[in-house]
Amino acid sequence: MFGFLKPKSEHPRIVQLREIGLFALLSPRELRVVDGLLHERTYLAGEVIFDEGEEGQALYVILRGRVLICRQGQPEAGHIAEIPAGAMFGELALLDGIPRTAQARALEDCVLAALSRSDFNRLLDTHAATASRIALQLARDLGQKLVAPHTAARTRPL
Amino acid sequence: MKNYLLGGPLVWLVTIAITTLLLVASTKALWLVVPLLIAILMYYVLVPVVRRLALAGLGRETAAAVVSGVALLAVVAILWPLLPWLAAQSVAGQETLSRYLDGGRVLADRTLATLEAQFAFLARLDFHAEMTRRLTELGDTVMQQKVREALVAAAVSLPSLLLAPFFAFFLLREGQVFTKLLTSGIPNAFFERAVYMFDRVDATARNYFAGLLKLTAIDTVVLGGGLWIVGVPNPFALGLAAALMEWVPVVGSIAGCILAVLVAATDHPNDPWIVYAVLAVFAVNRMLDNFIFIPLTVGRSIRMHPLPTVLMVFIGGAVAGIPGLILALPLAGVVSAIVGTVAGIVQDPRLRARHAYAKALLHKRVNADLQL
Repeated sequence: MFGFLKPKSEHPRIVQLREIGLFALLSPRELRVVDGLLHERTYLAGEVIFDEGEEGQALYVILRGRVLICRQGQPEAGHIAEIPAGAMFGELALLDGIPRTAQARALEDCVLAALSRSDFNRLLDTHAATASRIALQLARDLGQKLVAPHTAARTRPL
Repeated sequence: MKNYLLGGPLVWLVTIAITTLLLVASTKALWLVVPLLIAILMYYVLVPVVRRLALAGLGRETAAAVVSGVALLAVVAILWPLLPWLAAQSVAGQETLSRYLDGGRVLADRTLATLEAQFAFLARLDFHAEMTRRLTELGDTVMQQKVREALVAAAVSLPSLLLAPFFAFFLLREGQVFTKLLTSGIPNAFFERAVYMFDRVDATARNYFAGLLKLTAIDTVVLGGGLWIVGVPNPFALGLAAALMEWVPVVGSIAGCILAVLVAATDHPNDPWIVYAVLAVFAVNRMLDNFIFIPLTVGRSIRMHPLPTVLMVFIGGAVAGIPGLILALPLAGVVSAIVGTVAGIVQDPRLRARHAYAKALLHKRVNADLQL
């Protein structure tokens, strides 16, 4: 009895999303809305996620695994950065469809959540407050990458 | 920004061929197409409310149910007081139709007589008598037969319209899930292209139907205002009827104009200037539509070259009649987005190579312990 008064336990998926920096400012309701927009994709180790020069349509958040950012077709010689689980990449695609500045490959088997530019734009129209919180986190992340000393090449936005 | 959609004659041809096949298929299932079309319209009107309710804390399914239920109740609340009037109109419909057709005949008769009086060569050809005979034939046979057929078809398809709210409810509830399900089946190499394609398809349909509703509202105000100034009875009801008829490209605007002219000629039989003024109102509205309103509303939705667009309207009319005329443009817009994306993938060797590489990786993984 009175079970309805107990706080509801959060869905594991919502807990997982909250731990991702990009969605850190969102409430559980907003996270549910965003979760409805995310496309979960599975990549095998070595698989190309996107190529340098390709027009970006989506931002990726790593739910599991690691991703290598490298020069086009040079996974070893052109190594730029390794992105761990919980981080994001391909963020410039969300702001504009400018070409990708590097290639992204799965370093190990990965599960990624993709947020497309069109879904983000729709979120701006229908849930402006939610979208602005995501955009704020995105701007912070971009700012950190731009001001990080001596690591401009390693951390530049994609 | 680079555009993923490929254009060119081959893409046009494939788009036209697929759209034509779909239009032909639609004639076989018109009872399904009409409610589906209404459901899509309802979906685009109601989906922003569902999204707001979802953010307010309601689950997507509950929000869809609440919004669909309220919309249904609103429609019933609006239609309920109108039912006695509609019933009376349907009883008097035949009489009203005959009265307005007679009004039109009188107008045509007077116009022909005036023309014959002005131009002697028309009198020598016995133009007035010949045209009157043909118009009478048209009124007595073709018009009545067509009107009867159209009314019977409408009566038969009326129950299927009840499917529209159910379709709208399921689109509101499952639309997002369905899109995600479709996207999940697309290989990783083509994922971003597919996302772009789904966005284009959604934007085309949304912009077209939202544009159509806006255009209807604008035309109702412009035509209703014009007819009110001219002094035609029930100007805004006539304006709305004519604006709705304009959903049928080419034929619709002419039919709407004829309807208003018949009403004006019947209710003001001794004042031909009202008829000329009605024609002027429709001509001005047509020009405003072509140069201002259509480019600002539905014109933004279809990203196709004007040549295949016009061609598609005529093919739609030829293969599927009035439903073909209505469906041709939005269907061609959606098909063109899909065909353009698929053509872009087919002509991109890098994407195909990436897909082949991913398949090879998977093949190697699943066969790792099966080497002989």
